[in-house]
Amino acid sequence: MSDFIKHPVVSLPDRAPEPVFSKKELVFTEAEKEQIETFRAQYPTPESAVMKTLWLAQEKFGFLPPEVIRLAADTLGIPFSLAYGVATFYTQYYKAQQGKYVLDVCTCFSCQLCGGYDMVRYLEEKLDIREGETTEDGLFTIQGVECLGACGTAPMLQVTNGPYVHNLSREKLDALIDALKAGKKPPFVSVTLPQDEDDLGGNRRSDAEATEVGQTPPAAETFE
Amino acid sequence: MEMALFGDNGSGKTDAWRSYERVLLPPVRDLHRFDTYVGHGGYEALRAVLTREEWTPGKVIEATKASGLRGRGGAGFPTGLKWSFMPPVEPGKPRYIACNGDESEPGTFKDRQLMEYNPHLVFEGILIAAWAMQIDATYLYVRGEYADWIRHMESELAMLYDKGYAGKRILGTDFSSDIVIHKGAGAYICGEETSLLESVEGKRAYPRIKPPFPAQKGLWGCPTTVNNVETLACAPLIINRGAEWFAGVGAEKHPGPVLYGISGHVERPGVYEYPTGMLITDLIEKVAGGVRGGKKLKAIVPGGASVPVLRADMIEGVTMDAESLREAGSMMGTAGMLVMDEDTDMVKFLRRVTRFYHHESCGQCTPCREGTGWIENLVTRIDEGQGTLRDLDILLELCDQMEGRTVCALADAAAWPVRNTIQRFREEFEAKCRQSIYAVA
Amino acid sequence: MPKITIDNKAYAFEGQPKLLQFCLDHGVELPHFCYHPALSVPANCRQCLVEVGMPVRDRETGEIARNDDGEPIIRWGPKMTTSCSVDMADGMAVRTHRSSELVEQAQKDNLEFLLINHPLDCPICDQAGHCPLQNQTYKYGPEGSRFEFRKVQKPKKVVLGPRVMLDGERCINCTRCTRFTDEVSKSHQLTIIERGVKNYPMTPPGEVFDDPYSMNVIDICPVGALTSIDFRFRARIWEMSSAPSITVTNARGANCSYWVRDNLVLRITPRANPHINDYWLPDEDRATYPRFNEQRPDGPRIRGDEGLQPADWETAYARASELLGAADGSNILFLGSPYATVEDNYLLCKLAAALGASPPAYIPHIEPGAGDGWLITDDKTPNAEGCRRLGVHPVDPALVRARLEAGEIAALYALEDDPVASGLFQREEIQDIPVVLHTYHTTNETLAAADVALPAAMVVETVGSYVSEDGHAQRVWPAKAIRGVNRTLRMEMGVSRLDSHGTPFDRWHNAANQVHCKPSWEMLPNIARGLGLEWADASPKEIMREIAQHIGAFEGATYENMGSSGVRLTEIGTLA
Repeated sequence: MSDFIKHPVVSLPDRAPEPVFSKKELVFTEAEKEQIETFRAQYPTPESAVMKTLWLAQEKFGFLPPEVIRLAADTLGIPFSLAYGVATFYTQYYKAQQGKYVLDVCTCFSCQLCGGYDMVRYLEEKLDIREGETTEDGLFTIQGVECLGACGTAPMLQVTNGPYVHNLSREKLDALIDALKAGKKPPFVSVTLPQDEDDLGGNRRSDAEATEVGQTPPAAETFE
Repeated sequence: MEMALFGDNGSGKTDAWRSYERVLLPPVRDLHRFDTYVGHGGYEALRAVLTREEWTPGKVIEATKASGLRGRGGAGFPTGLKWSFMPPVEPGKPRYIACNGDESEPGTFKDRQLMEYNPHLVFEGILIAAWAMQIDATYLYVRGEYADWIRHMESELAMLYDKGYAGKRILGTDFSSDIVIHKGAGAYICGEETSLLESVEGKRAYPRIKPPFPAQKGLWGCPTTVNNVETLACAPLIINRGAEWFAGVGAEKHPGPVLYGISGHVERPGVYEYPTGMLITDLIEKVAGGVRGGKKLKAIVPGGASVPVLRADMIEGVTMDAESLREAGSMMGTAGMLVMDEDTDMVKFLRRVTRFYHHESCGQCTPCREGTGWIENLVTRIDEGQGTLRDLDILLELCDQMEGRTVCALADAAAWPVRNTIQRFREEFEAKCRQSIYAVA
Repeated sequence: MPKITIDNKAYAFEGQPKLLQFCLDHGVELPHFCYHPALSVPANCRQCLVEVGMPVRDRETGEIARNDDGEPIIRWGPKMTTSCSVDMADGMAVRTHRSSELVEQAQKDNLEFLLINHPLDCPICDQAGHCPLQNQTYKYGPEGSRFEFRKVQKPKKVVLGPRVMLDGERCINCTRCTRFTDEVSKSHQLTIIERGVKNYPMTPPGEVFDDPYSMNVIDICPVGALTSIDFRFRARIWEMSSAPSITVTNARGANCSYWVRDNLVLRITPRANPHINDYWLPDEDRATYPRFNEQRPDGPRIRGDEGLQPADWETAYARASELLGAADGSNILFLGSPYATVEDNYLLCKLAAALGASPPAYIPHIEPGAGDGWLITDDKTPNAEGCRRLGVHPVDPALVRARLEAGEIAALYALEDDPVASGLFQREEIQDIPVVLHTYHTTNETLAAADVALPAAMVVETVGSYVSEDGHAQRVWPAKAIRGVNRTLRMEMGVSRLDSHGTPFDRWHNAANQVHCKPSWEMLPNIARGLGLEWADASPKEIMREIAQHIGAFEGATYENMGSSGVRLTEIGTLA
């Protein structure tokens, strides 16, 4: 999240953009259409299924250029403007192409106090880009984001709207970047409840791919 | 576990909490699995309300009222009372629950633990509430960032449908009720109950004016009750153990088990289940291992970013329940407690909080859209050493200009921390201000 | 009847009005921006906050508790409420800024917020002078601003569509425009995009805001964020006068105002009429204003050896009478016009009858499929229904052709239409008609054959009545002056033109742009007298009274009854 108040400029979206995807690419498969039908059936109005359909479209196309939003709207039979207004309201919908891995580093509240900004700065240095930018090889985008709801394992980040990476440290970021470069996405990590450590001697989920426990957070060096 | 914890004096000022046995997240391996949950008496409460004659919908609501359960989403509204606001069933008019799992309040991370470790308690709670209010469908709103947890819950929910515990003719009875998980996409405002409804309807999440309240006109104009995930997870406990038991746990006027999320500068952060009414000092010192590195405590925010910050000298004897916290000058909120040690820069802290609200204001109505940005500008200027004492006055005036004048409570939530942080740490703010408004930068 | 107390004054009310609308209806002005009576109520501008309270009732008896003076004790709400969203209830008490300092302060505070990111460009803004934000800031706002930071910069001069331009910085996010496209025109072409302070209305990429009703968002925008591409920077609001009237683009009879400066029509905006167009006007109705300014004639002309030559009015009338009188009445073809007023068509009918000619017929201008079932009709003329009710029916081209070929048309009187351009006659054919008298609005194709060409006043220059497709009779007032002023018109000029700013910039007596024409209701009696008929001059009001008295299809259609919003005529079953 760049510092909006320092540069409070809202730019006009390209009003007649060249489509990123060709007409041929711009289709949902039968299976996807069926899935969208399922979404529709979950609500009394087709408009209500727009968020799930946009999610599906983003997973398929990687991001939501206007033609993809239109495809989603047309598939549901709802006005394009409605889908576009929704897509621009919610921050997790990517309106522009992002890096293959979007590193959403929480800097809010608890993470701020526990070194969230240290992690952002370290990533910026390591990847040689600024917050909000994407590396030249198109692999990484760094974003400072608002509270992700994992305050007990601050500082933390989320990879491309997917897995959480907890208890961040510089070493952990190094390992994460190496793994991502090697194409290995982090697993779902089950954070063990402190009381489970005491009562059960560890994580209760036997199906957990990986577990971690909340750690005494580091002292933050930079607040902002 | 059957005994009333802290029952005699309604306060957590003794060491009784040490023997507390968890009920929301009981220590059972793989409880998140349907089989394990059922194996441990899960869905018995649902079976009871659906099959036993004494559990009419009205009786379930009465029991919920009697239990004293108050909403765990932040406002602390009595749950049974809220349920009773639903109008009588009208043929052809669907009724809904919107279960709030948006959990975007900074410092709050407890509902996620329920989704991860005991999702069936949430589902069972939803279905009991559905019975109590004769609900056709529940939309369980989960923030988009919790994609992994949504995936897990979707598969457990599918299982629930397969086994006949949700959907048509639940447990072979005449009662049918659906559960749909609605995935958010990144907007704090969706935690506000009416903007959550807008979001479920597939719109830009602008809060609605009240009245009409959701019970009159909620989802798609139909009667709707909005309850937090943890709130509904309490419903099976009330059925299984009785309203009296529930009412006897923790603080007298704000009873029940609660998930405390403790984060920030403590040795052992995390989510802890204890009764309400715990001493804040106990939570920090005894539960979470104390302030990290032996540092001194400076301040806490007891229930998420919106509630007023308390100085260390203000928490002596204060317990985690609505009444005690109100007396102390704060609120229970989500029980997501942020702990700050002596090295914390309160101006920087507030700067980050104001930035959060500026970023998350939906922009629908004027005082919040414009005020949150103005406030962030002022606090930033002060933090950067360019502010003046006049700026502090303006900040407090802006809080008055925003509070109580908007469609929803986001402006209030943005104003409270500003007012209270400045009032309670004024010398820190003054120290950063230029001393004369005439000084040249 | 239930009662409500506003600022200590009691009002009775019926039904369940919203408080703000009730206040506005009863002269209790409350500042507001987002509220519009024809749209949903989002209560987002927060400008209309008031204090609302209800009487305290005794718990047991249910009686209203009273103080020592016998006044009900009021329990005031904990917060101020937006009056636009409040449903009124019996016994409710309201404090506006007139009796509450809290409300007064809240209005100031809110305006301060609205202005922190609003540009201070009123001097170059089209909305200045009739801007709710400007007006209300002067009246209720703070005197200065304490905001010392960079304002949010948003896109400016954005062409949303062919007719509407956006200045994002001026927008206060009232959402009237998006509510209009969602709820009224239902084109769904606009949405608010982004979030928070970055919000502004926009079309989705690749979409053009070409809604046939797009320009209504300009009217309802409470600031200068949405402006007319055509009208932008053409005139300041206080330089113009406006006259109440109706549009003549189609048969709906939508109510409008014609905005005029120095006898040039500069724009057309809607005028509210709940019976016809509510608050709205289609874009096509607004686009027609140049036709009142361009290609207008310069006085009467008579055909001589060198074609049409200018003449004075008396000479022209005399020539017309002479030519008509020379023809056998039964061989004169009178063409009425659905573009002309009821009064003008009526006088033409009278003339035809006096001369023993068949009743006039009119040339219909129907574009099948052009209508939208709302404010746009297939019929592209304003008064076909008025003609029909007078007994003037659509012309039968086959019959006209047969008469033409049989040499039975000795003279043609073509009233305010273009028989050649509309295809009733070929250019060469009309030359075969010995006598062609033509009253016309703008240069047209029939003129080439005219023996006497009489320029006629248009809707913006005359007084008269039109009947809409569904039988709504409405009168119009002159918006601009013509040369050779008629006494009746001159009297109407004074009352028709709203000069709300006391403007010294608009001069209707400025001759430069006065068109040299006359209304047909003035021309026809002159021609009739030349034929020896004893016709007195009559004002349109008197003519209409006569019509209302004598023709059943116009019963009750007097000017008094029509007022400013018209009168619905009874359905006519079978007309002779």
